[in-house]
Amino acid sequence: MTPPPLEESLVRLENVSRFYGEVLGVNRVTLAIPPGITSLVGPNGSGKTTLMNLMTGLIRPTRGSVRVLGVAPEDPEKLFTLVGYSTQFDAFPRGLSGFQFIYSFLRLFGWPHAQCEQLAWRAIGRVRLNGAAHRKIAGYSKGMRQRIKLAQALAHDPRVLVLDEPLNGLDPLVRAETIALFRELAAEGRHVIVSSHVLHEVDLISDQVILLSNGYVVAEGKIQGVRSEIRDHPMQILIRCDRPAALAARVFELDSIVEARLHADGGGLLVKTRDAGRFYRLLNRIALEGIEIESVAPADDNVNSVYEYLIGGEEAGR
Amino acid sequence: MIRRYWAQMRAVIRLEMKKTFLSRRGLWVYLIALAPVLMFAGHDLSMMRTREERRAIAAAHPVPAGALLAVQPGMTREEVTARLGQPNLDARQIRFAGGRVRRELLSYTDGQSRYVFGFADGQLQSITVRPEETLAQDRVIFATVFQFFYLRLAIFFGCVGIFTNLFRGELIEKSLHYYLLAPMRREVLLAGKYAAGLIAAAAIFTSSAALQLWLLSMPYDSSLPGREIAAYLGVAALACLGYGSVFLAAGLFFRNPLLPAAGVLVWESANPFLPSALKKISVIYYLQSLCPVAAPPDREINPLLALLISSSEPASTVFAVAGLFAVAAAVLVLAARRARLLEINYGTE
Repeated sequence: MTPPPLEESLVRLENVSRFYGEVLGVNRVTLAIPPGITSLVGPNGSGKTTLMNLMTGLIRPTRGSVRVLGVAPEDPEKLFTLVGYSTQFDAFPRGLSGFQFIYSFLRLFGWPHAQCEQLAWRAIGRVRLNGAAHRKIAGYSKGMRQRIKLAQALAHDPRVLVLDEPLNGLDPLVRAETIALFRELAAEGRHVIVSSHVLHEVDLISDQVILLSNGYVVAEGKIQGVRSEIRDHPMQILIRCDRPAALAARVFELDSIVEARLHADGGGLLVKTRDAGRFYRLLNRIALEGIEIESVAPADDNVNSVYEYLIGGEEAGR
Repeated sequence: MIRRYWAQMRAVIRLEMKKTFLSRRGLWVYLIALAPVLMFAGHDLSMMRTREERRAIAAAHPVPAGALLAVQPGMTREEVTARLGQPNLDARQIRFAGGRVRRELLSYTDGQSRYVFGFADGQLQSITVRPEETLAQDRVIFATVFQFFYLRLAIFFGCVGIFTNLFRGELIEKSLHYYLLAPMRREVLLAGKYAAGLIAAAAIFTSSAALQLWLLSMPYDSSLPGREIAAYLGVAALACLGYGSVFLAAGLFFRNPLLPAAGVLVWESANPFLPSALKKISVIYYLQSLCPVAAPPDREINPLLALLISSSEPASTVFAVAGLFAVAAAVLVLAARRARLLEINYGTE
């Protein structure tokens, strides 16, 4: 099978800005999001929801252009066969049960009853709400409402899923199931674009991250890739070895070493370096010289540290 | 393509119907629609009671045929009672400062009309006949209620409640985005919502009008002509069509649709005073033109205001119906353009 042209496999934003009157939503955002799980990360008000609303045409850019798999959001008839969006709004049409909600909105696609019924049950099954499907949504817990919104977004089998804070309000078990569902969807070649301000979650689920702050994209790419882009931000590495003090004396041979600190348990050394590559080469030499190295692992190669570095500890801590 | 649009419209209508018909917030729409029904039901009850009373009186106090009509002013009380027998209602006295003047009232009925004879100092001075109400009289009363209450207030405000909520209500409840995330043209969404509102409003208000008309003719042996009934029901439905389009658009253009609704109410109320050309830019002008019975002018209107009333020929049926459809279509085209540009920004609602 011939793969689709590149343009038709990307969610692309070109120099997109959106202002709410005088207030900045997002500014000069240029992104090309490939299939897989992509996390939009940022504190409240950083522009995550604005970006998602722009991708789905709920708002229009003040400047720039948006294309989802080559389709403009101004063309809802094409766009929403490709895209499913679970918004942050915890509101539902009144008086509907979970099943009625999914079914009724599938009917808006113009599909016949039997097809809509089948798709509705399949989506409800994917979020494990079969038992509650005939109960009124008004009586659902927060977690159930999140799941029924997710079911509604994926009911028509879209190639792009845009999910605004989808893990909010889920208990740990359901959270794990939902993350597994995201992975399953991504493995099928779909775009799963999620937003979160819980960085721990992002680390667990993302193939790519887009870091946002005050309406600007401050970094994007694979987590490790983003990390290595920040040359002047020291990387922290934990080396487990038999003689950490001796190792500490040796590492300062490199001028790129910023700090070396004995680990609290006495069994390792925490090193901060501006050039991880040179440090790893030095470490290889040291290992040959007789210090027994058990393990080497990045101690802060996660979104949290990157995010903290990029936009400051104050915001990351929110 | 067209088939898909129809399927999508039907899906929108299904979703909207339940909300429109069964909304607790919309209960007042039923109340204003039913207000004239209650009024005519009350009128019927009172009329039937009066009729029964008169028949009972006529049975207890039979009056010889033609004798009531033979009573003439100047006759004495004794002459009248000699001809008609004992009255069912007799006498009252009034004292005047200058002397004692006896006034008496004698009441008779032949089972249908009531005759009240007024005597002063024993001589018949006045004869008041209160005949049974007729369908012709009640038709005029119905025309007045229909044009001045039902069209201008009940249907008007009912449409405000139903149609402004179609978009504005969902913006307030933060649930409109579900529609906007479906692969559906905004024009189809607008058409579906409008159709749902129209079905609901027309069902409520034409049912109420039909009930009113049934109650109107119920006490009589004859009934209204079928054409007249059809005309009233048609006018009620067309009122929903016209006002519905205006208030659907108001819900899209204005954050608080009550302000434009007040503006439209003033404009529609001022219609009799507008120059002929401006009269035509309204819904009520066409609706009144289509009403089968003209409502009588208000006799108690201020003479200065009466001078300001501009007379103009009512529109022909074809022109009036076409005019209403044209007004509704023009407003819906504007609303559709607005819907295409609609953004979801609940924070500002």
